[in-house]
Amino acid sequence: MIIKQCCFVLILGLTLLMSGCEEPFVPETEVSAQEIVVEGYIEAGPGANPTYVIISKSIPFISTVNADKFAELFIKGASVSVNDGNKDVQLSELCLSNLPDNIKAEVYRTLGFEPDSSAIDICIYVDILDQLKREVGRTYKLTVMAEGKQLSALTTIPPYVGLFDFKWSEPPGEPSDSLAELNVKISDPAGVTNYYRYLTGSAGGPLIPPFTSVTDDAIFDGKEFEFPLQRAERRDGDFDPESFGLFTRGDSIIIKWTCIDKSHFDFWNTRDFSANSGGPFSSYTRIASNIKGGLGVWGGYSVDTYRMRVPPK
Amino acid sequence: MRLALGRVAKKTLINLVLLLTGISGLNAQVKYTVSGYVRDAASGETLIGANVINTGNAAQGATTNTYGFYSLTLEAGTYRLVYSYLGYKDKYLDLTLTSNYTQNITLDEGVVIEEVVISAERDKQKLNVEGTQMGTVELPVENIKKLPAIFGEVDVLKTIQLLPGVLSSGEGNAGFYVRGGGPDQNLVLLDEAVVYNAGHMLGFFSVFNSDAIKNTILIKGNMPANYGGRLSSVLDIQMKEGNNKHFEVEGGIGLVSSRLTVQGPIVKDKSSFIISGRRTYVVDLVQPALKGTNFEGTNYYFYDLNTKWNYTFSDRNRLYFSGYFGNDVFKFRQPGRDFAFDLPYGNKTATLRWNHLFNDKMFMNVSAVYNDYRFRFNGGQDDFVFKLHSGIRDWNLKIDFENYPGNRNVLKYGVNYTFHTLTPNTASATNGEVNFATNFKEKYANEIGLYFTDEFKATKDLSVNAGIRLSGFQQVGPYTSKLTGQEFGTFESVKFYSGIEPRLSINLRLASDLSFKSGMAITTQYLHLVSNSSSTLPADIWVPSTEVVKPQRGIQYAAGIFKNWNNDEIETSFEVYYKDLRNQIDYADNYVNDISKEVEDEFVFGKGKAYGAEFFVKKSRGRLNGWIGYTLSRTLRSFSDIEGGRWYPAVYDRPHDLSVVANYKISKKWDLGAIFIYGTGKLYTPVRGFFFVDQNLNLFYGPRNSARLDPYHRLDLSATYTPKPYSKKKYSGSWTFSLYNTYNRKNPFFVNFDTETDFQTGSTTIKGSKITIFPIIPSITYNFKWNQK
Repeated sequence: MIIKQCCFVLILGLTLLMSGCEEPFVPETEVSAQEIVVEGYIEAGPGANPTYVIISKSIPFISTVNADKFAELFIKGASVSVNDGNKDVQLSELCLSNLPDNIKAEVYRTLGFEPDSSAIDICIYVDILDQLKREVGRTYKLTVMAEGKQLSALTTIPPYVGLFDFKWSEPPGEPSDSLAELNVKISDPAGVTNYYRYLTGSAGGPLIPPFTSVTDDAIFDGKEFEFPLQRAERRDGDFDPESFGLFTRGDSIIIKWTCIDKSHFDFWNTRDFSANSGGPFSSYTRIASNIKGGLGVWGGYSVDTYRMRVPPK
Repeated sequence: MRLALGRVAKKTLINLVLLLTGISGLNAQVKYTVSGYVRDAASGETLIGANVINTGNAAQGATTNTYGFYSLTLEAGTYRLVYSYLGYKDKYLDLTLTSNYTQNITLDEGVVIEEVVISAERDKQKLNVEGTQMGTVELPVENIKKLPAIFGEVDVLKTIQLLPGVLSSGEGNAGFYVRGGGPDQNLVLLDEAVVYNAGHMLGFFSVFNSDAIKNTILIKGNMPANYGGRLSSVLDIQMKEGNNKHFEVEGGIGLVSSRLTVQGPIVKDKSSFIISGRRTYVVDLVQPALKGTNFEGTNYYFYDLNTKWNYTFSDRNRLYFSGYFGNDVFKFRQPGRDFAFDLPYGNKTATLRWNHLFNDKMFMNVSAVYNDYRFRFNGGQDDFVFKLHSGIRDWNLKIDFENYPGNRNVLKYGVNYTFHTLTPNTASATNGEVNFATNFKEKYANEIGLYFTDEFKATKDLSVNAGIRLSGFQQVGPYTSKLTGQEFGTFESVKFYSGIEPRLSINLRLASDLSFKSGMAITTQYLHLVSNSSSTLPADIWVPSTEVVKPQRGIQYAAGIFKNWNNDEIETSFEVYYKDLRNQIDYADNYVNDISKEVEDEFVFGKGKAYGAEFFVKKSRGRLNGWIGYTLSRTLRSFSDIEGGRWYPAVYDRPHDLSVVANYKISKKWDLGAIFIYGTGKLYTPVRGFFFVDQNLNLFYGPRNSARLDPYHRLDLSATYTPKPYSKKKYSGSWTFSLYNTYNRKNPFFVNFDTETDFQTGSTTIKGSKITIFPIIPSITYNFKWNQK
C-alpha cells in the first residue's frame, strides 16, 4: 500500500504540474433499500468494556447528514441477543438521553465519541448485568431482529498477546521539545496466525484507532519484534504531518492493545484499506463484514490497557 | 478389400499433404529462385514488408520478412519484377531465370516522382484485400510522427490506440487493451525481446523512443503460430539498424523531454550502429523552486537508451546486437521529517541475432535474448529503513526458419525456449537493530514453444495460413509446495502445463478488390499480471503459472469483409470477433494490497468473453489522408468469488469507440494533423451509500463496474512547419506545434468520494469529486537532422 501511496504522491505532483482540475461529481444514485448495520463488541481482559451492540441503518448517497438525520439512523426497539455457548442473553436497550450526564459522558467516551458530542441521542444494546461469560477461546453468536430482518454473526475471543518494553525516543527528523516517539515490543507466538488491533487516547478523551489499526503477524510470526506505535488521530481531523503518529510530552495516555479473530481482522483490515485508499489508481475495496444479512462488525477482543505519562524531555 | 481401402486412404492423405503444402507433383516444370535483401538506398536499412511482384502475373510475388529478405520461386523464363515499398520509388528488374539468382535491391525514397510512390502505396493497400492475416496493422514510424501528440511526445503506443479494437487504458496513458483482453495479454516485443512494462511515468509515456524505431506491427487477433505466450495481441516493434553509408544525427527538443540519435557506418556498407537517447527534465526545471522547502531534493525523470549494431559478414550471414536500457527515477525528499524514498524502475533488454541463409529458399534466424524488469523502493525515516523489490528476468533462445519451397508456400517453423526468474514483492525493514523480511522466494520456470506455419494458395482465390503451436511451461525448483510442503530441488519439476494451439486464417478472394477473411486462434498464457488499480502500475508484478495459478487460455474467432475502392485509394474493412477466455485472474472485492502476502494467494479465478464489430476506412494517398475507426464491442467477466459468478462488464468494456485521424498537406512547408476520439465513459463501481461504524462514515458499494463516467472525447491538432523542404544542406529542421484537447473537454480521469465533518454544526457532508488531469495543452517541438552526405 505504501507503494501505491508513493505512486499517488507522484501522480499528485504531476497533476499539479499539468494544472488538472477537480469538480463536484454527483453520481446517478441507485434507489435501494437501506441496509441494517451492526457494530458490536464483546471483550475480555483488564479494562474490557461491557458487551454492547449499536444497530443503525445505512445512509443512501446524500449530501449532508446533520445531527437530526444522524440520530434517526439508530434503530430503537430491536431485539438483540448473544449466545456465549451456554446461554442466550438478551441485551437491554439503553437510550443515552435517559442517562445522568456524568454516566452519559463516560458512555460516549467508551463508544469513542468526543465527550461534547452528547447532543446526539443514540440507543445502544448492552449486557447491563454482565451475564455473558467473557473469556478467551469462547465463540459468541449474535442474533438481531430489527425492522423485520434477522441478522446474525459469530466471533471468538482469541488468546491475548501483550506489549512490553515501552521506550520513548526523539522523533525522527528535526529535533522537537514537545513530541516523542513510542516504540514497543511484542513476543509473537509461533505457529499460529495472530491478529492485533490497537487504539490510543489521551486521559479523559475517547480511545480511537489509528489509520491502520490492525496487523497480522506475517512479518514477525514467532519472533520478538519491536515497532513504533503511533498515536491515533481522527480520520476527519486536521492532518499535521509534523506531529503525525507522535505523542505529546507530558500527556497522560492510554493504549488499548487487543487480539482479534480472522473475520474481525478482515473487517478492520478492509475498512482501513478502503478508507486510506483513493485516487486515480485505486480500485474499490468492499468492506468484509461478518454480519449475515447486513453490514458492520461483531467483534470479539481480548484486551489490555496500558496507561502512562509521556516523559518530558 | 482392406488393401484397396488402405490405398485410397493413402492416396487421399498424399493429396491432402500436397494441397496443404501447395506442392504439386504433376508440375514438372523446372523452377528457379530469385532472392535477396531489399534496402533503403540512402541508409542501407533493410525494408520490412517490401513487395516483389512479377509484372506479368501479379499473383506471383513475395514480401520481405522482418530482416528485409525475400525469396521468389518462378518457372524458368524471362520476367520483369517490380520492387516496391511504401514511400519509396519502384524499381524494375528484368531477368531471365535459368538458375537460382541472388539480387539485393536498394530503393530510393520517393519524394520526387510521386506517381511511382503512389503505385507502391497501392501495392501496400492491396494487402488489405490480398493478405491472409486479419486484424493486423503495420505502422511505419514516419506516419506516426505526423500526428498530434501530447506535450509533443510522439508515441507509438498512443497511436495504436487510435485503431479499431484497441482501447487506451486511461487518459493520456500508453497502456492498451485489445479486443477485450487484459493489459497483460499483449505480447510487446522490442527486437524480439519481451518488454514487461512498456510505460514510463506511470504509463503516461511509452518506453519506445520514436527516433529509434523503424517499424511497428500490431496483430490484434488470430496471431500466427510463431507468436505465443499471450492471449490477445502482439505488438512487434523493430528498431532501426543504423545508416551504413553516412553518419547522421537527429533529435528533438521539446517541453518535457529531448532526444538525440546518432547513427552511421562502422565499416561502410557492411556494418553500422545507432545510439538513441531520450530524457525528461520537466521536474529538473522546478528544482530551484524546491530549494529551501520541505521537499528539497525531490525529483522525477525518466530516460531511455536504445542501441543497435550490425555486421554483414556476407550475403548469407549477418549479426545484430540490439539493446534497450530505460529507467524511471523518482526521488522523494522531506528533510524536515528525515523522510526520503527512491522509487526506480525500468527495463533492460539485449538481443543478439544471427541471420543465416542456407540457400536462396531457406532463411534462419537465431536469437539469444536477455530481458529484465526491476521495480525498487528504498525509503525510510531516521533509523527505520524499508526496502522492496520485485521483477522478472528472462533468458531466451530462439531458432526460426523460413522456407520458400515454391511461389505458393511460405513455411515458418521454429523453437523458442525461455528460462524465467520471477521475483515476488520482497520486502525488508530495519529499525535500529531489528530486522525483518518477507520470506518469499524467487520462482523459476522453463517455457518452450514449437511452431509450424504454412501460408499457401490453396486455389487461385483461396489463401490459407495454417499453423500450430505446441507450448509447455514447467515450474521448477528450488521451491517449497504451499499445498503439500514438499521441497523441490534446483530444476526439479514442480508443475507442468502444456497447450496445443492451432491457428488458422483464410482469405477468399471474391473480386480483385474484395475478399472475405476468417480465422481462429487458440492461445495459452503462462505469465500473468493482475492489477488492482484502474491502470497498470510499475509495482504490479508478473507471476508465473504454478501449482496454485493455472495458465490463462483463450480462443478467438474472427471474420471480415475487406474492400478497396477507387483503384485502391481507399481501403475499408468490417470485422467481427468473438473471444472466449478461461482461467482469467482478478482480485476479490475485498482485496487488500499487503506486501506481506504473495499476490497469487489473493487471486480469484474466472472466465471472460468479448465480442465486437470493427469498421475501418483508410485513405493513404493524396494531400488528405488518414482513417476512421469505429468499434462496437462488449467485454464481460464472471468469477465465482465475485458476486456469485454474475457476468459483469470488465473495467475496459467500452461499447462505443471512435477514432478519426487526418493529415493534410497544405503546402511543401506545412502539414496539418488532427485526431478526434470518442469513447463510452469508463466503468466504475458506484458508492451505494455509507454506514456508521467506529465513529466514521464508511462506504459501501453497488455491483462491480455498474456505473459509467461521462463519455470521453477530445480533439487534438498539430501543424508541422518545415522551413526549407528542398534544402540540400546537411542540416535540416522542422517545428511541430501541437494542441492536445483543443476544446478543453473536462474528461474525467477518476472520481473520488469522501466525507467531511463539521464539528461545529455536527454535520457531515458526503462529497463526490471528478478529477480531470489534462486540460488544453499546447506544445512545441523542434526536430532537427544532420546528415554527413
